[in-house]
Amino acid sequence: MFSLRDCSIPSKLTWMNMLVSGTALLLAGTGLFAYDLYSFRVGTVRDLGIQAQIIGSNSISAVLFDDSRSAETTLSALQAAPHVMSAEIYTPDGAAFAGYRRDRSESPPPPPAIPVGQAEIYRFQSGQVALVRSITFHGKPVATVYMRSDLGAMHARERDFAIIVATVFLMSLLAAMWMSSSTRQSIAEPIVCLAQTAQIVLNEKNYSVRAPANDGRNEIGLLISTFNEMLAQIQERDAALGKARDHLEQQVQERTAQLNVANADLEAFSYSVSHDLRAPLRHIAGFSRILSEEYGSKMEPEAQRHLNRILDGVKKMSGLIEDLLKLAQIGRKELVRVNTDLNSLLKDVVVDLQPECRGRQIDWQIGNLSSVECDAGLIKQVFANLISNALKYSRRREVTLIEVGQVEKDGASVIFVRDNGAGFDERYADKLFGVFQRLHRAEDFEGTGVGLSTVQRIIKKHGGEIWAKGEVNKGATFFFALAANRRGHAQTRKAATGGY
Amino acid sequence: MKVLSPTDALRCIRRCISQSRGHRRGLAAVAVAWALIGIPSVQGQHAKPSEYEVKATYLYNFSRFVEWPAQGVQTHSDSFAICVLGDNPFGPALNATVAQETISGKSVVAKEISAPQDAVNCSVLFISSSEAKRLKEILTSLGTASVLTVSDLPKFTQHGGMVEFILDGNKVRFEVNSATAERAGLTLSSELLKVAVNVRRSAQFGD
Repeated sequence: MFSLRDCSIPSKLTWMNMLVSGTALLLAGTGLFAYDLYSFRVGTVRDLGIQAQIIGSNSISAVLFDDSRSAETTLSALQAAPHVMSAEIYTPDGAAFAGYRRDRSESPPPPPAIPVGQAEIYRFQSGQVALVRSITFHGKPVATVYMRSDLGAMHARERDFAIIVATVFLMSLLAAMWMSSSTRQSIAEPIVCLAQTAQIVLNEKNYSVRAPANDGRNEIGLLISTFNEMLAQIQERDAALGKARDHLEQQVQERTAQLNVANADLEAFSYSVSHDLRAPLRHIAGFSRILSEEYGSKMEPEAQRHLNRILDGVKKMSGLIEDLLKLAQIGRKELVRVNTDLNSLLKDVVVDLQPECRGRQIDWQIGNLSSVECDAGLIKQVFANLISNALKYSRRREVTLIEVGQVEKDGASVIFVRDNGAGFDERYADKLFGVFQRLHRAEDFEGTGVGLSTVQRIIKKHGGEIWAKGEVNKGATFFFALAANRRGHAQTRKAATGGY
Repeated sequence: MKVLSPTDALRCIRRCISQSRGHRRGLAAVAVAWALIGIPSVQGQHAKPSEYEVKATYLYNFSRFVEWPAQGVQTHSDSFAICVLGDNPFGPALNATVAQETISGKSVVAKEISAPQDAVNCSVLFISSSEAKRLKEILTSLGTASVLTVSDLPKFTQHGGMVEFILDGNKVRFEVNSATAERAGLTLSSELLKVAVNVRRSAQFGD
């Protein structure tokens, strides 16, 4: 269906003009037509009444002296009135006295009776008007004139009027169309131009275009200048924003470079420190051992105990240095990603850990893992760390339960390692992965506090994420996801983009 | 209300009853009552009026189409007299016709006169056929008095009369002599001339 709402403004204006002028004209035409018909009817009745009166007046003597021939002569003058169909003169006692008929074969219907107190009555019926008029002479009714006129004149007038109205209607519609083309120039075209400009701005994101200015000091001119002003403001803001972004990027690059340098320095420093510390430590360990082996028998038991303490400390420090070196190495090492079958990798880890399992009852529940693109050596370290942790913290259980598996979470594969060991307080979960941060006393569970930190670094280097869940004395579960394609997981995405 | 003389009323009743013969008696009674309260022209509705009834009506109607001079006899009189000279052929019909009628604010009266001299006080004078012999005398005595003379004497208009009744079959018609009327200072309206059978325009006397 045709809908005015979807029309363009120019055609809407045209339609509006035509509609308004058409409606006004139609209403005016109808009103005039109705008034004209009404007045014509009234005029017809009045004229007929006058004719009846004239005929009656001229026939008074004829009626009074019973001379119907004279009356008929008077009536025959009606031949000049083509619309009069018949005219009859009746005497007061109702007898027909004289008559005239335009069409002799036609017999007129009986006249309507005049109500008491009225001189005239008329009826419109079947395309004609019938009129009866009582004629008085010196205050006495002497005759009744009954006339009928067809409404041919009225119909002809109706037809003429309809033709005129239709012609004027068409002409005014054409005029409205023609005029709307001139209003289109002043109203519609600027708006159309504005809309096109807006479309260009929207499609091309080009804020440098401007709508052609309109010199009129009207709303449209204001609209266009405001629109252009807005575009200018947007352009300015865009430029400022771009400048700020460029500046920020530059700053970020500078900072990143500085940070990388600092990081590298720090890693080099910690590596060299650890490396360099090993030599004096080896000396301490070596000479302490010599001292113990060669002079142990000569020493007093007290001195021997001290020496053993030194040896313990050296051993602990050596482990710490080894761990720190590993941690530092991860930062320095480039990832070598290959497609790795995690199942066989895990099997190797479990075999390597057999010495730690000796004498323990362990329930291994190992699920099927998938193959992933990763640095196999580093991921092996992750598994070794997590499983050795699980063994360590569950060694006081009669039956140790270690579960390794893979679950799907938010479209990504998440690997978990679960134990039924000492667990931890989840309030301190964020401290689990800090360097040298420990949630258990060294007396209860030995350790350097570097292992989980190393694990986290490896995972992050892969663009993945690691987190843990647990409860004191109810075991702990470590989850990690390697794939960086965990869409919809904000944390992971952040980790993935913000990683190394 | 029109008051009928006893003879008029009786005539009416007789007429009405004779009309209603064969109809139901109730109808006749209504007609009688109607006649008694005096609806005008009740006679005309029921029967063809007699010759002299028509002539009586015409006699009265003529005065409607004639203009009398301002200084006529009638201005001094307080009534408008329609006189019958000689034997009255109208019977009560003339009285019935003029009863209660007025012309120019004067009540119309019907008078019977015998002397031509009395005619000068009349506005309309009907000369009965009984006066055929002394017609000339009568007209001479009237002179140029403003009296409309009417008669059914043959050749009346040729002998100095103004309006002459003629029978055309069973229809009463009339002819006029407008010159004679003019000489008497009377103006006959064109309406009257229009329905006259013949209009004479010579005012000569003679036989």
